[in-house]
Amino acid sequence: MVLAAGYLGFGALASGSEFPLWAALLSTVTIFALPGQLAMLEMSIAGSAAVMIVITVSLTAARFLPMTVALLPMLRSPGRFDWRIGAAVHLLAMTGWTASMRRCPDLPPGERLPWFVGFALTNWVCCLVATAVGYALADSLPPLVRQGLVFVGPLYFVLILIGETRTRHGVLALACGAVAGPLVHLASPQWSVMLGGLIGGTAAWGLNRMTQRD
Amino acid sequence: MIELALLIVACGIGTYLWRGLGMLISGRVRMDSAFFAWAGCVAYAMIAGLTARIILLPTGTLAATSLAERLVACALALVVYFMFRRNLFVGIATGFVALVALTTIGRGF
Repeated sequence: MVLAAGYLGFGALASGSEFPLWAALLSTVTIFALPGQLAMLEMSIAGSAAVMIVITVSLTAARFLPMTVALLPMLRSPGRFDWRIGAAVHLLAMTGWTASMRRCPDLPPGERLPWFVGFALTNWVCCLVATAVGYALADSLPPLVRQGLVFVGPLYFVLILIGETRTRHGVLALACGAVAGPLVHLASPQWSVMLGGLIGGTAAWGLNRMTQRD
Repeated sequence: MIELALLIVACGIGTYLWRGLGMLISGRVRMDSAFFAWAGCVAYAMIAGLTARIILLPTGTLAATSLAERLVACALALVVYFMFRRNLFVGIATGFVALVALTTIGRGF
């Protein structure tokens, strides 16, 4: 539901930036990770080199690694390769993951994978529709409402990041990243997402280690 | 056009790599190593930096709103979000309405 609102905003943002609709939809199909898609959109508008965009988008998706590692033991019998799992993990994103982590332990093992796929697939289709609707609406709405819609995307992350980050290094990383990102942007718009993340993230990681030793 | 499609597909593959890698190593490695802590920090900082940048120094459609309007709408959304026990939907709806209302007032309608 709320993720769809984020994708409404993404669609509206794409439309406002004269990014083609098919490309916005294609990114929802292939990437299906809102932060990465926002980064891709902003960077291609800023005129970053293609290699930089791919590296940055890929790095912002690094969170999927621990998420997948945590979720999969619940969905399958360990060690056995299963193509259905390979397809299912593509649908793994923040919303489906939090819901599955909560819901799956209560289900019998055989029903968990179908439940996850059903939930995530519905989510995926809703997000596709929301991208298109956001894109289409952006043109017909008054400018002030359109601005509000575009605002929904970043707002979604502000709330999710501040509200759901529990670990200490997570909080430090948010703070350092929020400072480093805009500062680096002033010096070099094309590099801001990547450099800001590396600088802010490394600073946060160092701070966390130093303070833990005391 | 083909370049843009290739770019997006490449980004998709880069994103899927993490999901696929997570699938392969799931249950076999410890996730609390220093490297994973660092990678997690960088990923968080990137998203936080991008979000902060869009709100503080926007390009495109949002550039027409003022910094004060964005910050107030953001703060209101956060307050309401926590008041309603971290209800994302209510928080985001508040931020949306607040920004539209503020910009409307700001333009003297």
